Amino acid sequence: MAVVELDRISKSYENKVAVKDLSLRIEPGMMFGLLGPNGAGKTSSIRMMIGITRPDSGGVNLFGKPFARESLARVGYLPEERGLYKKMKVIDQLVFMGELHGLEPKTAESRARVWSEKLQIAEALDKKTEELSKGMQQKIQFIATMLHEPELIIMDEPFSGLDPVNATLLQDVLLEQKKGGKAILFSTHRMDQVEKLCDSICLVNHGEAVLAGTMREVKSRYERNRVVIEFEGDDSFLRHDAVAEVRNYAGHAEIKLKDGGDSQALLHAAAGAARINRFELMEPSLEEIFIQTVGGKSDA
Amino acid sequence: MRSNVWLIAKREYLEQVRGKAFRLTTILIPAIFVCIFGVGYLASKNSGNGKHIVIAAADAGLASNVKSQLLSDPDSHTGIEVVAPAGENDRADLIRRVTAKQIDGFLWVDSTRGSDTPHGAYYSLSSGDFVTTARLQGAVSRSVVQQRLAARGIAPAEIESITKSITIDTQKLDKNGKASSSNAMGTFWAAYAMAFLLSFTVVLYGMNVGRSVIQEKTSRIFEVMLASVKPGDMLAGKLVGVGAVGITQLGIWFAAAGIFIGTPLAGRLMAGGFDLHLISVTEGVLFVLYFLLGYVLYSALFAGLASTVSTEQELQQYSPIAAVPIWLSFGMITYIVSNPNSKWSVAMSLFPPCAPITMFLRMASQFPPFWQIGASIGLMVLAILATLWFAARIYSVGILMYGKRATLPEMMRWLRYS
Repeated sequence: MAVVELDRISKSYENKVAVKDLSLRIEPGMMFGLLGPNGAGKTSSIRMMIGITRPDSGGVNLFGKPFARESLARVGYLPEERGLYKKMKVIDQLVFMGELHGLEPKTAESRARVWSEKLQIAEALDKKTEELSKGMQQKIQFIATMLHEPELIIMDEPFSGLDPVNATLLQDVLLEQKKGGKAILFSTHRMDQVEKLCDSICLVNHGEAVLAGTMREVKSRYERNRVVIEFEGDDSFLRHDAVAEVRNYAGHAEIKLKDGGDSQALLHAAAGAARINRFELMEPSLEEIFIQTVGGKSDA
Repeated sequence: MRSNVWLIAKREYLEQVRGKAFRLTTILIPAIFVCIFGVGYLASKNSGNGKHIVIAAADAGLASNVKSQLLSDPDSHTGIEVVAPAGENDRADLIRRVTAKQIDGFLWVDSTRGSDTPHGAYYSLSSGDFVTTARLQGAVSRSVVQQRLAARGIAPAEIESITKSITIDTQKLDKNGKASSSNAMGTFWAAYAMAFLLSFTVVLYGMNVGRSVIQEKTSRIFEVMLASVKPGDMLAGKLVGVGAVGITQLGIWFAAAGIFIGTPLAGRLMAGGFDLHLISVTEGVLFVLYFLLGYVLYSALFAGLASTVSTEQELQQYSPIAAVPIWLSFGMITYIVSNPNSKWSVAMSLFPPCAPITMFLRMASQFPPFWQIGASIGLMVLAILATLWFAARIYSVGILMYGKRATLPEMMRWLRYS
């Protein structure tokens, strides 16, 4: 049973098409990336997924059934535009959010305490929100999303504004949730951040899906035509026939191969000329794939 | 999810009641209230006090009689000088003294201008001092009458009893024809105070809801909430929560007023006319009812409008929507209190935006027929339903829109989205 199933949903505002014929499917235990530049229609799609807005056409299924508000008790949503009540004590706020999702106040409070230990923010619970740093507020929002143990976790730009240490902390928590069988949807324009986390992706641009599938499938559609070489000595091999473009940073060269260019021939040439410390045939990054797919059409 | 409205109302209520603003307004508003009414009451009572005026007349007897009439008024504390018999030179001199601000004004009584009725004129730098003018007129009239009676040979003691002022006592009749002594001035002040309090609190809490919507919008809390709560429930919870704050505050004020009335100090102060005992239990209940209806009407409207803007300043631009019906109601206050059953008074008290205030003004003067109160409440409920329908739709779209203020055509389009 799919946790989320969007069937050709569309939404327009005034004359602007926000989402057009978008379909996707998220299974339990899957990390799904909804990727694309700002204004591509990611947030609009999520809003339709959880009933904040209704699609003009198409269907939304949650947990195998057509959308119903009761299903929201099983969904945790961390929106991109997120905030907390400034004057409210953090623990009261978390209990309030838990209660809105149907938890008993006591359960909500004990879970909030467990989570705050886990995210190393227990000292913030008795403070008012306005006394917390932005990063701390973000962790509190994260906890508020997780309190009712949702089976579908939706995170819109979850790592924006977080330092690398805390971003890693949250990533680890999410990986743990995934192992526990939860379905996780990431939405972000920072493709590098989620590239290594996601099992499946859907790339959207101007409201339409331009690329979708498992990460393996998507990447295998694109040639491995980039090579990174770290070397000492003569760099004349960089002018090899197989090389289309090169960026040479004193001993560290990033090379783009010509179509059909033989990487093995290049390795031979390089080994003959210089001492090679590293030779790696790279797969294209999502960002490169995205740029290659939409070309100059993207606004971002 | 059935209890989300309750949860949101509870949060809103606790946050506001625990806040500093609540404590401050609970104390400050009655203080401002007492100041406005106290100053108004004392000013009207003591207007003309401490003035220095001159009575000038060719007839010295008349002039000194006017002076003693003026001095016999217990409310007056005017310094009076007499110039008599006065001629044209004295008049020029008095004009000079007024312009030099040595005296506040002078009364010129001219009893030689042909007719047997003297003509009086009060000269001063301000033309609007009608309290002083009225006192002077009364004093001159009584003096002239006394002089004429004396000229007809009537004894001074008789003159005194003939010209003694009379007082008119107001008796209010109920439906069975039973009379009870009422204080017309006190009724007016009680009605005025209640209407003032009603309009003040309705607008205060209506704007309060608007501000709370804007705060949630700026703190970006809406989308977090929408993952578990329907926009309509959020709106309802907010209205209930802030309304409960209003009822709490009114409760504190009424309780404090109740305790105050029991004190001897209040007895002394209210001897002057303003009397809270003039408010009956029915009126008290209807006051709370009209507060709630007026509050829901205005706060739903403000919540809808607040969701279309991003700052409190922008919300202020909509405040005339609440201010105009209130000005209109207050502009008609004397008319309504003196003609509580005229067509205009009835129409105003049925028109929902004006109903809470105007119905209350009518009620204080004469209790309106129950069908009219019923009709006005019915119309208000209809207006509230229409406003809620409109506000909820605007709200559910507006809370997710950031940036510039929405125009009316945009709002109309939003009605279709939801």
